[in-house]
Parts: sequence; C-alpha cells; structure tokens
Amino acid sequence: MDVAELRQKWMGFAFDTTEFEVRERDALDFARACGETDPRFVDPSHPDFQAPPTFPARFVARRVLPRDFPRLGPGTFDAGKSVVPKAPVRPGDVLVADSLIHDIYEKTGRSGPMVFLVHRMEFANRKGEPVSTVDWRMVIKLGSPG
Amino acid sequence: MSRRFEDVEFGEDLPEIPIETAMANVRRFTRAAGMSHARFDDHEAAREQGLPGAIVPGIMSQGALAALIHRWAPGCTIDRIDTVFRAPLLVDRPAHCRGVVTDLDETTRSVEVDLTVTNETGETRVLGTATVRL
Repeated sequence: MDVAELRQKWMGFAFDTTEFEVRERDALDFARACGETDPRFVDPSHPDFQAPPTFPARFVARRVLPRDFPRLGPGTFDAGKSVVPKAPVRPGDVLVADSLIHDIYEKTGRSGPMVFLVHRMEFANRKGEPVSTVDWRMVIKLGSPG
Repeated sequence: MSRRFEDVEFGEDLPEIPIETAMANVRRFTRAAGMSHARFDDHEAAREQGLPGAIVPGIMSQGALAALIHRWAPGCTIDRIDTVFRAPLLVDRPAHCRGVVTDLDETTRSVEVDLTVTNETGETRVLGTATVRL
C-alpha cells in the first residue's frame, strides 16, 4: 500500500452529497446533554436561538469513503473531528453537505503504522451559503485486509 | 456577562466543568445525534465488543468542550474547534473539561485555547484546540 499513490489518486475526490434537516428537539437535546447553558443554544425563545457550533459533526454522509476506495486494514477508528463554523445553524434549516477526501497521511504509533484519512464535509444552507466545515479523521491500522 | 478580549490573560485557566456521563444523559445525546450504537448506551453490549464498558461518543466530548468555552465567555464565537479522540471515555465515570489560553491576537480579538478532557484518574482522553473570538 503506497500512501503517496493514494494521495495522488484520491485527495480532493468528491464522492457524496447528502441533505440533512436540523430539528429543534435534536439541537436542544444535543446542547443540554453537552452542558450548554447559553440561552442561544438552550432557549428556543431566544432571538438568536441556534444549534451549538459542533452540531454539524453529528451528520454522517451516505458514504464514508468513495465507492472504489481500497480496503486498507481490518479496523477503522474515529481519531477526531475538527469543526469550522461559518454561520449559525438554526432549527428548521436544511443543510446540504458535500463530502470529499481532504487528506491522506501516514503515521507510526506504538501499535505500528497507521493511515489517516480525512473525510471533509462542507455544509451549506439551501441558498448555497456555507455554514460549516467538518473534518472527520479516520485512522486505519495497517494489516491484512479483512 | 460577556467576557471582553481586554480582560483575558495569557495562561488563564478556564473554570473546569464536569461532563455529565450518566447513562441517561449519554442516551439523550445519542438520540439527538442519531448515533444508534450499543457501544454508547449499553455497558454489556460494549463489553461484548471488547470495551471496558459503554463509551461516551467523541463528539459529545467535543460538544462539552464547546460548552466549557461558552460558559467561560458567554456570547463568544467559536471560529474553530479541533479535537483528538485519544482514548475512550467511559459512561457513568467522572470526567472533566479543562482549558487554558495559549495565545491572544489583538487584530482579530481572538484567543487560542488548549482543551482537554480527563477521566477520574487524571488521564487525558480527549484533547484539542479552539480559536475563540470575543
């Protein structure tokens, strides 16, 4: 498995577009369960009521990886998430997310070599205005494909 | 009361907050997040998957870190938050969110905050950074 080859072939590859509805109950429960107390996030009557900034990280595209992406190892783990909010996400919004492979890189940890794949989701509202970018880092421990 | 940029000091600790890891709260989160995995809301099922017990979703820890920032600076804007899920955090076990200011940018009136989530033995299970505009 050649990471340089993977990068050349797949980085920037767009492979999914999915719509998501932002429901008030979900936004409220997400905020309260995380310990938010700011009325912007927990009081629906607040004039600036909105979902917490990390809320778009809950949305998962229909596909995690492109259809023909090679199977690299037996296990995939969630290594982290980065969120760049660009505009408030409000209950009732319908978000459109475009997914692409943003980065591929290799690291060696205590348990051996690992490949990191960064699945980027660019969220926009129905007017096409960007509202959030979420990067999902997946780590794959290299081994015999299962 | 909102926090002014001028009042923030380099090295300032954000007042720590607990994460509510009780099973009922984690289930409320997983329902809201559409995460229907037994490893998050069923200790026995999680053990059958080789985990020591049910685990707190990584994005719940990330959301709690955002709440830590909002409680410290009500009304602020988080321009970026990046979290690394280093190791699982267990449901029904104590966990705390902490933060420290590591940089200030007068031009953008924003601060950099280093973030951690630790368990009851003080191990860092989630870490991250955020850019916060005041």
